[in-house]
Amino acid sequence: MDDTRQRILEATYACVARWGIAKTTVEDAAREAKVSRATVYRVFPGGREELVNAVISWATLEFFTRLYEQVHGAESLEQVMERGIMFAHRAIIEHEVLQRVMQTEPEKLLPALTFESVRIREGVALFLEPYLEQRGVAPGVERKEAADFLARMILSYMSAPGRWDLDDATQVAQLVRAELLAGVVGPESRDR
Amino acid sequence: MTTQGAVLQVVEGATQEHATEGDLTPGPTNSPNRVRIIDATLACLARHGTLKTTVDDIARRAKVSRATVYRAFPGGRDEVLSAVVDTEVARLFSSLGVRLGAADDLADALVAGIVEASARIQGHAALQYLVEHEPEVVLGHLAFDESDRLLAAASRFTAPFLARWMSPKEAGRVAEWATRIVLSYAIAPSDRWDLTDAADTRHLVETFVLPGIRALYAAEHTAAIDITPFGSESHPRADHPDAGPDRTAP
Repeated sequence: MDDTRQRILEATYACVARWGIAKTTVEDAAREAKVSRATVYRVFPGGREELVNAVISWATLEFFTRLYEQVHGAESLEQVMERGIMFAHRAIIEHEVLQRVMQTEPEKLLPALTFESVRIREGVALFLEPYLEQRGVAPGVERKEAADFLARMILSYMSAPGRWDLDDATQVAQLVRAELLAGVVGPESRDR
Repeated sequence: MTTQGAVLQVVEGATQEHATEGDLTPGPTNSPNRVRIIDATLACLARHGTLKTTVDDIARRAKVSRATVYRAFPGGRDEVLSAVVDTEVARLFSSLGVRLGAADDLADALVAGIVEASARIQGHAALQYLVEHEPEVVLGHLAFDESDRLLAAASRFTAPFLARWMSPKEAGRVAEWATRIVLSYAIAPSDRWDLTDAADTRHLVETFVLPGIRALYAAEHTAAIDITPFGSESHPRADHPDAGPDRTAP
């Protein structure tokens, strides 16, 4: 059953990559996955709408799984944030399907993506917590609070770099070590 | 869907002209009918959104005739909707300008600016209705490239107010950071910090933002590398304090 679900999601993603969200139908997904329409409806009883939401959720998870693979070996809070921001920034720019959908039908993607972003933020915060624990936070800073704040800022910079060149490791180091972490870990322990 | 895009054109227009007395559209902008129609439209949007608001609804609510609406806004519904966006952005920026202008130090400016923007966004009935029922109308401006444009426009408007305490380049960076904070907590409010509350916001600013500003300043003035990509506006001032008065001590 799980295999079927995975297969349908991959097939739906392929359809979206080819035709976009609006033009992808349950029939397309079924044909691409080589299953019947009835099977798609059994796995996704809500039909097209449920399928589209599920594929956005699935693609988001795929993205963050790749991100996790990039950063989980990092040794410090600084390193994990720097690597994560740089990788995510590149991965978003190079994500052809995301870029195309954002160009042609952002209104089909963004509500679901915004919904996902709450879960993503919680995931990023949970991931950062052990690094914050290891690093130690400044007096008066609560670890959970800091993790949530950093997760919010990381997601903000990932999606919109603003004045920062996130391909430049020196700038990313400044962003992370000075702007984002100075208050969290305390100024005196910043350089190491 | 015409509100998509209109928002940014307006934000950019407003910031370039520094929101000249809320007068952003050509023509008889200050005619009482226009303001009345715009406010009536806001009330309609807060109940029915963009899809179900018609010129008839607007006229009825404004207690004017359909013909009056079309005389004030020859383009009809779409023109009214984009004038609403114009007006609301100008109102936000002008109230923000008042709060920022009245602040005595950097911490006060950041707190006042973040609270004002957050309260206006979160308390905006029409905007909140759209976020709830027609999210695609709003969210397009809050992600990826469009969000970059919004950040640029908002920081272009607010940076000059912060430049009283730092170089224009630093002010731009700090203004952008504050805008990110407002947007993040407006899109997804936190159960810990309510940024429409001055005490919560001061805590956040003092804990995370001011130390970051000081560290960035120190890093930039000790390192040989310029940390912003476009450094043309860089002119560090001799009288630079650090990043404002030290408010973390008391």
